[in-house]
Amino acid sequence: MWRINDRRERTFAGGNEDWPGAARMAARCAAFHPDVEEEQVADEDRSCYNCRYRRWTAASFVCGA
Amino acid sequence: MRILICIDDTDNLESRGTGDLASEIARELELNGWGKSRYITRHQLLVHPDIPYTSHNSAMCFAADIEVSCLDRIIAYASAFLARESAAGSDPGLCVADVDRLASPDQLIAFGRKAKQSVVTMAEAYTLAEDLGVHLSEHGGTGQGVIGALAGAGLRLSGNDGRLKGHLAIETANGTVAVGDICAHPDVDEVRTLSGSLLAGAETVRLGDRVKTVLLNGKSVLLVVPVEGAPGGIGWRSCSKQQLKKY
Repeated sequence: MWRINDRRERTFAGGNEDWPGAARMAARCAAFHPDVEEEQVADEDRSCYNCRYRRWTAASFVCGA
Repeated sequence: MRILICIDDTDNLESRGTGDLASEIARELELNGWGKSRYITRHQLLVHPDIPYTSHNSAMCFAADIEVSCLDRIIAYASAFLARESAAGSDPGLCVADVDRLASPDQLIAFGRKAKQSVVTMAEAYTLAEDLGVHLSEHGGTGQGVIGALAGAGLRLSGNDGRLKGHLAIETANGTVAVGDICAHPDVDEVRTLSGSLLAGAETVRLGDRVKTVLLNGKSVLLVVPVEGAPGGIGWRSCSKQQLKKY
């Protein structure tokens, strides 16, 4: 579910609208940490899209965990 | 007088969020008797490899009605607060705009929209702030947050950008409530469908767990979607977080 970008960072392969995929990835991630309320966008509490360590890009996010 | 206070780039991955700092400034403004604060809005700016941001590049803004004589004290307080409370490694910026005396509101709004679409510079932000008579200051690091602070103020002024910080607490009967009762909440002005239709006061809405409004046409609007075949004639439910992501 990840791609490595030019900066050698892990980029989520599902893009920014793969809600089930982002929830599945977060479910198995030991580093998940919920972001502040106003920055959460997924309905599933535990989702990479709600994680403090995701850094949004134009098409997806980079995982900083 | 009506002012907009906007801050940006105050956090790091371990600190409290920029919205939390905005809440504290808004609270202190009231506790000191300087005026009355309104709700806080979050404004998404451009995410781009050339822009330094922690994880989301958003600014937080609120409006306040204050005594004219308190403006300098508010700016001094917010400046010292950001310098003291912003996280290590952040680049905090503060914008305070006197809405009624803005030289050209359209230019401020245009700057906000531009910052959602393209990379803008600190020099552009400072030049525009000076032209418009808007307070803009940096309080640590590179000061890059002045761009988002000015842009966020413009987007709040536009009345058509962003989600409100926090969730609404509204009493319901088994999860449903009349539109009129929703609008009785001080932070809700209207209930509308995603397609823009205004709901009448007698309509009923099933509220989700964490209900949030968005800023549309200068109003705090609860967006709803139809519920097909709902029992008891309940025809609407509040939008999910996912549905509000684009705001």
